[in-house]
Amino acid sequence: MSTMTPATMLKRPERNKGGAKRQLSPAAKRRSLTGWAFLIPAAVLIGVMMFWPMFQALILSFQTGRGTNLDWADPLLFNYDRMLDDDVFRLTMTNTLLYLVIQVPIMLISALVLANILNNPRLRWKSFWRTAIFVPAAISLVSYSLVFRTIFATDGLVNDFLLWVGFIDLPINWLGETGTARLVIILGLLWRWTGFNVIFYLAALQNIDPTTLEAAKMDGAGPIRTFFSVTIPQMKPMILLTVIMSTNGTIQMFDESYNLTRGGPANTTMTMSHYLYEVSFQNNPNFGYGAALSYVILIIVAVLAAIQMKVGDKRD
Amino acid sequence: MTDVTTTSARPKAGEKPLGARLRSAGKYVFLSIVALLSIGPLYFMVVSATNTTQDVLASSMLPGSNLIANWQSLTEFQDVGSAMYHSTLNAVATTVLALVVCSIAGYGFEVYHSPNKDRLMWVLMLAMMIPFAATMIPLFQLFADFGLINSTWAVVLPAISTPLLILLFRQSARSFPHEIIEAARIDGLKEVSIFFRMFVPTMKPTYAAAAVITFMTAWNNFLWPKVILVNPDYQTMPMLISNFTGGYVVDYGALMLAVLITSLPTIIIFFVLQRSFVAGFTGVVK
Amino acid sequence: MTKFRTGMTMAAAATLAITLSACSSSDGGDSADPSGDTGGGEGGNTLTVWAWDPAFNIYAMEEAEKVYQQEHPDFTLDIQEVTWEDLQPRLTTLAQSQEFGELPDIFLMQNNAFQKNAINYPDLFTDITDLGIGLEEFPEGVVAYSTVDGANYGVPFDSGTAINALRTDIIGEAGYTVDDFTDVTWSEFIAMGEEVLAATGTPMLSGIAGEPDTILMMLQSAGQSMFDAEGNPTITDNAALDASIEVYNEMVDKGIYLEVNSWDEYIGTIVNGGVAGTINGVWISGSIQTAEDQAGNWAVTNLPAIEAVDGATHFSANGGSSWAISSNADVELAADFLATTFAGSTEFYDTILPSAGAVANWIPAGDSDVYNQPVDFFGGQPIYADVISFGAGVPANNTGAYYYEARDAVGVAITQIKGGTDPAAALDEAQATVEFAMS
Repeated sequence: MSTMTPATMLKRPERNKGGAKRQLSPAAKRRSLTGWAFLIPAAVLIGVMMFWPMFQALILSFQTGRGTNLDWADPLLFNYDRMLDDDVFRLTMTNTLLYLVIQVPIMLISALVLANILNNPRLRWKSFWRTAIFVPAAISLVSYSLVFRTIFATDGLVNDFLLWVGFIDLPINWLGETGTARLVIILGLLWRWTGFNVIFYLAALQNIDPTTLEAAKMDGAGPIRTFFSVTIPQMKPMILLTVIMSTNGTIQMFDESYNLTRGGPANTTMTMSHYLYEVSFQNNPNFGYGAALSYVILIIVAVLAAIQMKVGDKRD
Repeated sequence: MTDVTTTSARPKAGEKPLGARLRSAGKYVFLSIVALLSIGPLYFMVVSATNTTQDVLASSMLPGSNLIANWQSLTEFQDVGSAMYHSTLNAVATTVLALVVCSIAGYGFEVYHSPNKDRLMWVLMLAMMIPFAATMIPLFQLFADFGLINSTWAVVLPAISTPLLILLFRQSARSFPHEIIEAARIDGLKEVSIFFRMFVPTMKPTYAAAAVITFMTAWNNFLWPKVILVNPDYQTMPMLISNFTGGYVVDYGALMLAVLITSLPTIIIFFVLQRSFVAGFTGVVK
Repeated sequence: MTKFRTGMTMAAAATLAITLSACSSSDGGDSADPSGDTGGGEGGNTLTVWAWDPAFNIYAMEEAEKVYQQEHPDFTLDIQEVTWEDLQPRLTTLAQSQEFGELPDIFLMQNNAFQKNAINYPDLFTDITDLGIGLEEFPEGVVAYSTVDGANYGVPFDSGTAINALRTDIIGEAGYTVDDFTDVTWSEFIAMGEEVLAATGTPMLSGIAGEPDTILMMLQSAGQSMFDAEGNPTITDNAALDASIEVYNEMVDKGIYLEVNSWDEYIGTIVNGGVAGTINGVWISGSIQTAEDQAGNWAVTNLPAIEAVDGATHFSANGGSSWAISSNADVELAADFLATTFAGSTEFYDTILPSAGAVANWIPAGDSDVYNQPVDFFGGQPIYADVISFGAGVPANNTGAYYYEARDAVGVAITQIKGGTDPAAALDEAQATVEFAMS
């Protein structure tokens, strides 16, 4: 079993343990250098394209000024202090966290259920179901945002359908009201990403030891019990990975907010990344403040990931 | 939607009790609803690409005859060919380079591992937590300093090396039998040759999975190209369709056609490589 | 096995080749591009332009190109469509990275955003004050949008003068004519609107929810703005703004103002007969005229006035834009081009007016016969002459650098008020948001 997760990453298989501790022979030394050569391009790219800009952003976040006239902030933490009074940022943070706590659990549970159904060897028309469930994952974020924007318009498909069924008497202004606009974003995220996670879970299900399932059956456990006490624990590393990926993706979400709702009404669907974009490029540009905002996003992501890994790493 | 008869290979299935049959039927109803919700918006997108704006706004679910007119109004003001070219160039270049760079790194981390390399791996994994928004402004200034705004490099370089891909290839290298490497070394093969001749061919499913993920991410990338590709001549498909709604009058038929065209490459890649995709993430070597 | 590897290698090689050639071709493109380093042979006859509406300002540029070509046959324009939503971030990124070489020669700028960009990033612009462009032939108030500390940075293009466009057939069903809607107050307008709604089921106006354009037009018609002369926000304790919001909310509550979610839905309500009229900048007449089946059923008059405010007028403005010459331009050519077309050709304005509804700010254009000609679509009314006369009465608007922040904040406040928040509290918050952005 070799499911890749940050958790299993730590635990190197036994077979390699001995070698590293011995005195290196010339051949081994050469090999070690070859190994470094293999790593360097990837490591340098990550260093230059991610760590260096992150460090630069930290410096930038201590500076203030409009446009190109940047100076050291006085006090140095001015931008961070200023953030405390920023109601719009607080609102976008609330929006983003709301998407996170509502959408991610629903999505991952649905994906688990669907993956489990699709994994049943006796399921008929399996490739059709798979195709149908996977296909949204192949659609670009901008594309689906615009499609959703169109079908949730006041005179769009959804209202026409609901009126036709008689479910509603008047068209609902989906994107014009805070509650429904947030709902549309969440529905969009569920539509686009559930199938994507099903793929990961299907992969994890292939790795489940069939004998453990047989054993559970022999012990008289029903399918639901088996699912919770045998299947889920074995999928834990993969679940952890999808939780971290989804959290990361939601916290950084930009495309849907920008294209589907334009952040409205009254900024109540705007995400943090969208606000960052507005502050940095659309309004009177304030890059120093934008950098400070980005550090707060970074800290949120890091804290959430740390919590998730801590929880996920606990073995039962 | 019934599951009453099953293939003769599974004789037991025919004897299912009523409860199980109902459960089975419920399962198919559930799957049908999910499939309908899943395909519905796509069906609407495809149908709308053939309809006039009026029909799109009237939520027509029948194919129309306006496809050619939509194509004409789409291409009248938009350089679709150029946007497709730039999208393809960016996505293919990113995918190929990412596969090469990340797979060799993943392989290197596993096969030549040492405490220091493990430490480096940990540091690189931390990059997974960096939100793109946090690096965007300095990254922009970095590329500006090198005069690389409006270049393919500016779009491709930040997307080549990702912790997730390195991790994926490291895991697949872990399941790669070391006996093969040892045997190849005894045969006098160079380390680089071992990677290209032994590892790469064996790991096709992993490469397929990595290719699908990378291609789709690169193709769909929106925020960064929007920031770095300042000259309209370089715009990509997602930028093109996003700008579509910025005009004074939106031609929905043409918009849906553009949305469809934007989605086709990723849909095709996805389904061509679908099987290997699941296998690749399973990490099973066959 | 080997096949796959060969395939991979080939794909890699091919991609690199494509990538490299693309990059080098892009370099090639830049040097051929006149917006790069000028002085190259052919570069001297071409100007690159950024503008955003193919049916309007891009069309106008194309016509200007034809006019200029009469004297300069070798001259060409390379017009690139960049939506306004994309143009602003592009300017920001270029200015921020000091990559002025990527700028076009000429770009279009919303009048309301001109101060912000000229103040934050003067390096983007060329000072055109002494370049021989006849800016004195434009109304002072319009030139003021693009003037910072006495230096001019823009040639005004289209007029943002507001019109009250009405469907004569729909208001006719309630027994009204255009004259009934002329020189009225907002309460009279609302009373008639209720009659129209009762008779036809059609609301009078539509607009985008959360976008305060209608309210800001009312505000400006009363001679007020969101900033005082020193540029400080005046969103709280602004009687004209309070009155405008009150009128707006009353119309929404009574169902005579239909709120929609997007620009295209807004246009849809106009061209599909969803409303009995619209109030907006005169540039909206271009969109109105796309509804060919409604030809002859439209008329234009002035705006209702806010009675609660002393000195309120029937005239206002929304939008409007100006051409800027970038710091990267072939300044001589660009200035001469603009001076002979947008700031010097009656023939040019005569062409773009009937076909695009582009009403000029250039005063001499108004003397042309074309402006006095009846427009069939508007029932034979010479609407452009009327618009010019409206334009003379528009009170000046103080936009300042933070216009968009204030506009967004007021939009949020209106949405909150609609949702039940106390108006004073919502406007206090809007004021705080703008003050925050300026801090």
